[in-house]
Amino acid sequence: MNQAAGKSIKREAPIVSIEPVLQLENLYICADKGKEHRLLVKDLSLVIRPGETFALVGESGSGKSVTASAVLGLLPHNLQVTEGHILLSGEDIGRLPDKKRRKLRGSKIGFVFQDYQSSFTPFIKLGAQLIETLRSHRSCSRKEAKQAALEWLEQAGLPAERVYESYPFQLSGGQLQRAAMASAMMLEPALLIADEPTTALDVLAGERVLDLLAKLQAKTACAVLLISHDLRHVMKRADTVAVMRHGQLLEQNRADRMERDAGHPYTRMLLEAKPDLMELERMHQSTLSAEA
Amino acid sequence: MRTVITGLTRSKAGRKRWSRSRRSRLTTVGISILAVMVLLAFIGPLMVHNDPLTVNMSERLLAPSWQYPIGTDHLGRCLFSRLAAGAQTTLGIAALALAAVMIIGIPIGLLEGYKRGRADAVLMRMVDAIGAFPDFIMAIAFTGFLGPSLTNLMLSIILVNWIGYARVVRSIVLSEREKEYVLAARAAGCSSWTIIRRHLLPNIISPVIVLAALDIGKIILIIASLSYVGLGGQPPSPEWGAMLNDGRPYFQSNPSLMIYPGLAIMLVVISCNLISEGVRDRLDVKSI
Repeated sequence: MNQAAGKSIKREAPIVSIEPVLQLENLYICADKGKEHRLLVKDLSLVIRPGETFALVGESGSGKSVTASAVLGLLPHNLQVTEGHILLSGEDIGRLPDKKRRKLRGSKIGFVFQDYQSSFTPFIKLGAQLIETLRSHRSCSRKEAKQAALEWLEQAGLPAERVYESYPFQLSGGQLQRAAMASAMMLEPALLIADEPTTALDVLAGERVLDLLAKLQAKTACAVLLISHDLRHVMKRADTVAVMRHGQLLEQNRADRMERDAGHPYTRMLLEAKPDLMELERMHQSTLSAEA
Repeated sequence: MRTVITGLTRSKAGRKRWSRSRRSRLTTVGISILAVMVLLAFIGPLMVHNDPLTVNMSERLLAPSWQYPIGTDHLGRCLFSRLAAGAQTTLGIAALALAAVMIIGIPIGLLEGYKRGRADAVLMRMVDAIGAFPDFIMAIAFTGFLGPSLTNLMLSIILVNWIGYARVVRSIVLSEREKEYVLAARAAGCSSWTIIRRHLLPNIISPVIVLAALDIGKIILIIASLSYVGLGGQPPSPEWGAMLNDGRPYFQSNPSLMIYPGLAIMLVVISCNLISEGVRDRLDVKSI
């Protein structure tokens, strides 16, 4: 298993001359622990185009969530971007002052957290929080904001009035995650970052969440950065898949070609780790025919 | 077997309920005493139409009568009216001092906890420095230095007590701001002010109320004690502590001059402590 440092296999889709929504160029993120410096993300470069679903896959600790936090500008204090550029619609947002960066969050970049419980403040009703999010980015009256919030909750397939009046602890995980997605999409950002949105949910709820993501993406035509640890799971939903390990991008390819053309041994390992039902069936059949 | 178990649980639950209701009964007692005192402060002057300040040497040290419900003091002033006026003074100044302490301490704690950085470090060192002085000594030094008066007393109380609130608020804000829901609010683009106001402020209300309930009794005692020593309310101001001091020479002959103000101070402080116990019971949530 040769993982030569810095070597990544890229097979990209044909280049179309539209300005990419997100472009990471040679990004290095480093963790400071006193005198100790540790590189969490090494030389990461990727491009996400408008309307594209880009899946970033990797095991825990591969640096995918750190990358997402860096794009948002919400890295914890001891982490910082040491080299490289983060370009949002062509603009280098890494150099922006914090105030301008804050304006981008929510309105240009949406974020859905892995832990649905923490997406909302536990002691404020959901409706109030949705209104607050809307009104901090757009100037509209409370009535208009309430109307918009109810509409989006409806879109998310939730009982709008009930969810509007509920506290976060009164809803199930799947409902909360869908509400969080609706809340992020409400502002129609150019890029939505979904950080392992289904990891904490059961399979059915997770599927519903991803279906909703696809539906809302079709509606708002935004780009999606889908972060996950399950390669097979995202291959069905994504346009482009990139595999990360130890902070480096190992392989990047179109989702439909990934299974066939996976070159890097780590990618192959991920694919083989969880065969789908059809493959299991085939393996079973081949064992049966071998015994016969 | 089942009846035995239900019998046991019923008695245990019953015992728990009794002790909790006993505590809440004490709180009710505290609230009623304080309510009576506050009522005294407002209704008293309307019931008894004697001026608490008029000196009338021909009527000094009289026994209780219809005109003077609990008699007169050594200068002929009605004791009841002086008690009522003193309630206004003592309770009013204590409430004012507490309000000022909260108005200064809470925003400083919020800002310190949220912003962190150099300003926070400097302020915390200042808070530690002020906190090193015991409040009683500070109050004595302050009023001794600036001259004894109720205003200076109030200022010295405010100066020392705001740091308790700043510290409590700061520690809560520091722990809450790291929580994920605050991060979620920031990721959605909320401004710092919105986050402090809507997401962090509700967390500090309960602990601050518990602290305030504890402090009010302490502040009332400081005011009364320093007035007794002569560093607070000056004559002829009808402050309870000062009245205690005035009654000292007459303790042998007319003990009521000391007993009534002393009783008033004691009742108010006890009731404040009882209320603070009840408040702590209901609001002091132990977080997970």
